[in-house]
Amino acid sequence: MKDMTKDILAGAEGRRRNGVGDPLGANSEIGRKLKQYYDELVSDDVPDRFAQLLSQLEQAEPAQKKD
Amino acid sequence: MPAVSQGFKTDLLGAIPSLRAFAVSLTQNADKADDLVQETLVKAWDKHESFQPGTNLKAWLFTILRNEFYSQMRKRGREVQDSDGIMTARLAVHPAQHGQLDLKDFRGALEQLPEDQREAIILIGASGFSYEEAAEICGCAVGTIKSRVSRARTRLQEILKISGEDEYGPDAISAQVTGTAGH
Repeated sequence: MKDMTKDILAGAEGRRRNGVGDPLGANSEIGRKLKQYYDELVSDDVPDRFAQLLSQLEQAEPAQKKD
Repeated sequence: MPAVSQGFKTDLLGAIPSLRAFAVSLTQNADKADDLVQETLVKAWDKHESFQPGTNLKAWLFTILRNEFYSQMRKRGREVQDSDGIMTARLAVHPAQHGQLDLKDFRGALEQLPEDQREAIILIGASGFSYEEAAEICGCAVGTIKSRVSRARTRLQEILKISGEDEYGPDAISAQVTGTAGH
């Protein structure tokens, strides 16, 4: 039911835009820059500190099931 | 208390690049962003039991990160920006040649957005969340996210002097009128 409403709304929106599509999609300069900006951040190298942190958290776990 | 599963740990590791990108988008500062991601990972680890397997881990983590960000801001006594109450300074940038908008200019424009608009347009336009998911992450109504995204987009267009993107002339004009009214 919820999905159906969503579909109807999405359809109405699509018609309203007259097939122009997503306002932040590939046809939009803002949309393209936004993705470029974000993708650059996502592809940034992850510092080791985070993997180390997770290992520390893991080691701090109370040892269970260790027999 | 059940131990954190290996799969959960692997998924956390996998989510770190996205978390860092979202954190930088919120804080606009790489060091603060990494501290925020660290806090988020510790929190996520501590409350891993409240995550329901099969649901969207990324959305769950983004929610934690966002809550952490706003609670840190409040602790520092910084007023959370409210886009309805402030007027963003309109920095003059070079009019963009179509398709030649500089990423640096774009970053500068993004920084000028109020936090609530910036996070909304990032979640929808870059992180790949649906309006429903973004609303859940931000703890607000879907309509609120839609209006924030729309205002963010209009404001970015104004700052960057991008024209010709709005296929509806009258809409663009009325958006500008509402954008400046009352200030």
